[in-house]
Amino acid sequence: MKLAVMSCIHGNYEALNAVLSDIDDQNADKIYCLGDLVGYGPHPNAVVEMIRALNIPTCQGCWDEDIVEGLNSCECSYPSVLAERRGKLAHDWTNQVIHPEVREFLAQLPLSLRDDNLCFVHGSPHNQHEYLMPEVDAFVAMERVLATGADVLFCGHTHVPYVRSLDAGHLQIQVKLTGKSEPQDTSFSAPLKRIVNAGSVGEPRHGRPNATYVIYDNDTDQITLREVEYDYQKTCAAILENGLPPIFAWRLARGMEFAERADDPTHVCER
Amino acid sequence: MQLLNITLVAGPPGAGKTTWIRQQINSAAESSVYLSLGSGNTPIDATYLAAEIPGLIVLAGEQLTDFLAHPIAGCAVYLELGFHIDLASLILPDKMADCRRVAVLPPGTRQTEWHGWADLVVTGAEIGAGLSQPHLWRSALPGQVLDSASLNTVWYELTQGAYGTVQRAKGIFDVADGRSLYFDFVAGLAEPTYLELDLPRWLNGRPDRFSGIEVVGEAFDQETLAQTLKDCCLEEQAIAYYQQQIRDSLEPGDEAV
Repeated sequence: MKLAVMSCIHGNYEALNAVLSDIDDQNADKIYCLGDLVGYGPHPNAVVEMIRALNIPTCQGCWDEDIVEGLNSCECSYPSVLAERRGKLAHDWTNQVIHPEVREFLAQLPLSLRDDNLCFVHGSPHNQHEYLMPEVDAFVAMERVLATGADVLFCGHTHVPYVRSLDAGHLQIQVKLTGKSEPQDTSFSAPLKRIVNAGSVGEPRHGRPNATYVIYDNDTDQITLREVEYDYQKTCAAILENGLPPIFAWRLARGMEFAERADDPTHVCER
Repeated sequence: MQLLNITLVAGPPGAGKTTWIRQQINSAAESSVYLSLGSGNTPIDATYLAAEIPGLIVLAGEQLTDFLAHPIAGCAVYLELGFHIDLASLILPDKMADCRRVAVLPPGTRQTEWHGWADLVVTGAEIGAGLSQPHLWRSALPGQVLDSASLNTVWYELTQGAYGTVQRAKGIFDVADGRSLYFDFVAGLAEPTYLELDLPRWLNGRPDRFSGIEVVGEAFDQETLAQTLKDCCLEEQAIAYYQQQIRDSLEPGDEAV
């Protein structure tokens, strides 16, 4: 069975359409979405309506949560004062244009989804705002996967796609109980685990404007990172027409993040 | 009458006028005086040279007449002319009539007004394609302290054309950890660079020293850039917080204001 996993659409309807078309071409049997349907991009309502119409199982992203709950970011959300101001501009714009039923839909999205030995989250199993960067400490990475009980953890949020295999995992724990003189040693080996980041459909950060997502074949255990060209200039024009900051269009055209990225990949989000 | 050793230096933006002057001053035995004509309230080159060359005497434009009346004996004087100054209509004081005129020009430059004006043409740096309608934009940033990560973002955007075509950009900025940074960009050169100026860290409130930016470009959105720079600036509370952190981490003997 072929699964398509996509994330971080960010109100980019043109990119979503192109990815859905490519998923169709790949003959995927099922689609999962890892959230961040809204934020930054000019078409948040249209994107959510499309996801709803296709009944795509979706978990809640950090931007989806912010639109429901209001901004309450941990320091990890923004790497700079400028990024924070830009992020707040985008949040305020989205908050103004979002339809009530779209907000309700975002509010009821689950934080994670399971399909047999697969788990789907936006940022990490602990928090939608936590970045699982490819270079994050192996112990942290392994803990995040083990916390789900799954073998493959699909995430997004970083906007940069990657596959990370965690093999030969060996954990050793030493516990010293009160009243006992000798500490107890426990150790176990973890089987192969993987983290698969689906990248971003609508706001890529890999240096090109193309949308990214992944195809997972659970019969062959094969993971394919897909990169899809689309008419990003249409989205850029819509950014300008809708009064969003023009720098968003400039950055989108170059495959650069608009405002957010993890400043410190080892930081554990405390939101 | 005492003969003054004065050199006027002209040339297009980014060709290397200030760099050439710095080389002359560094290789000279005598003390030197520097003055930039046309830099207005954004004396970026003067601030840069004053920080980097110990003992250099830097004059403001309005001090020139007094200096000519009471020159310092035995020193070399360098006057840098902004690229936007019209050489044909430049009127110099009588005491400067015999000064040496140097044009710093990009390689391969032929038959320009600088060639007719200069006693000596020095080959400078490549500056990329010229602009048909160059526009000069300057902004002083008195007392402003910028967030370093934000400054890096806006400088990248600026030099990559997010606010219009840029041929030349330079600036001096105070950042949160108290350093004063000099940013320098010329279109066509490999990488924009920045340098930490040899100045004490400013860790006591808003800095009372020059900071500002100068950009030469075309179809340039100066309002958006100005707003973006403003968005990079720290509030009072954040400045105090960062400065306290740096003060607490200083070793004995570290220089700070």
